[in-house]
Amino acid sequence: MRPELLKGHLDALLLAVLDGGPRHGYAIIEALRSASGGALDLPTGTVYPALHRLERAGLIASDWQTVGGRRRRAYHLTASGHAALGEQRAVWEQFSTAVSAVLGGRSWPTTA
Amino acid sequence: MADDRLNNRAAQAQLDAYVGELAARLRGPRRRRQRVLAELRDGLDGAVDARITDGQPEAQAVTAAIAEFGSPETVAEAFGGELATAYARRTVAAYVVTGPLVGISWLLLLQPHPWRTGLIALVVAIPVLPLIAFAFAAAATTLATTGRLMRWLPEASPRRALSATAALAALVLAADVALIATYARSDIAVQPLAIVAISASLIRIGCGVATICHAVARQRALPEGTHGHQ
Repeated sequence: MRPELLKGHLDALLLAVLDGGPRHGYAIIEALRSASGGALDLPTGTVYPALHRLERAGLIASDWQTVGGRRRRAYHLTASGHAALGEQRAVWEQFSTAVSAVLGGRSWPTTA
Repeated sequence: MADDRLNNRAAQAQLDAYVGELAARLRGPRRRRQRVLAELRDGLDGAVDARITDGQPEAQAVTAAIAEFGSPETVAEAFGGELATAYARRTVAAYVVTGPLVGISWLLLLQPHPWRTGLIALVVAIPVLPLIAFAFAAAATTLATTGRLMRWLPEASPRRALSATAALAALVLAADVALIATYARSDIAVQPLAIVAISASLIRIGCGVATICHAVARQRALPEGTHGHQ
């Protein structure tokens, strides 16, 4: 898969990774990479600004912890972040169903 | 932790050099930059650790972790937008916080006679008030569209946030000049309050000129296409 395809959905992917619980930056990026089967191959250093932007938007929050004498920043989802993730999942569901229907030649799901 | 395992001085120096190169390229509020560097360093150590755990030799682990993070140019460029927005928000917030302090002294100095009340009398005495109200609205909009409200409002790009900051500084600068002119043309006696108000405005004019130059320079330094995150 081309990385730029995933890059457009980076916000939703980062929120989804944090849905499993708080993580620090590098753990988020590792989880993203392994969950996408290595498809999301962005330079790691460039994923951090995306996290900072989500924090600025109030969708995630962070706190600094001292682990083994080293300062580490851990992120977690806020209530707004949970809500935004729900919305993004619904949007993706609708979008992917529509695209699969057209590209896969399957019938459009009819709404009852 | 990585520090316990990293015995190889050359490997340690390689990580330090990478973070140092990145530090030299980041532009923005100092505390913000320091936190970015601390976070990246922790991430790098994590990446090195993971590779050493997988059985890679230390030197190789360090080189691979640095390659994974991206060149200092790439990472600094990626942070450019966030740091510019942080600068814009901090500057706008400083105007919002200090504005009322300068405003109160001018209000006390230029207020209309106590028996002439109402908004119109106030605007007649201080003609620059609508400009100040507009500047305040512009500041509030900038903070809202770069902060928590950007989930509902259209998000301001870093470029736009910098333009808004320069525009705000120019508006406030014009208001300060107009306030000083209003006082100079009035028949209000010279009093300590006038010295306070004029000094505050002069300081703010100086800061405003610096802000405009800095915001315009930062905007030019942003990489092409930094119009937003996506």
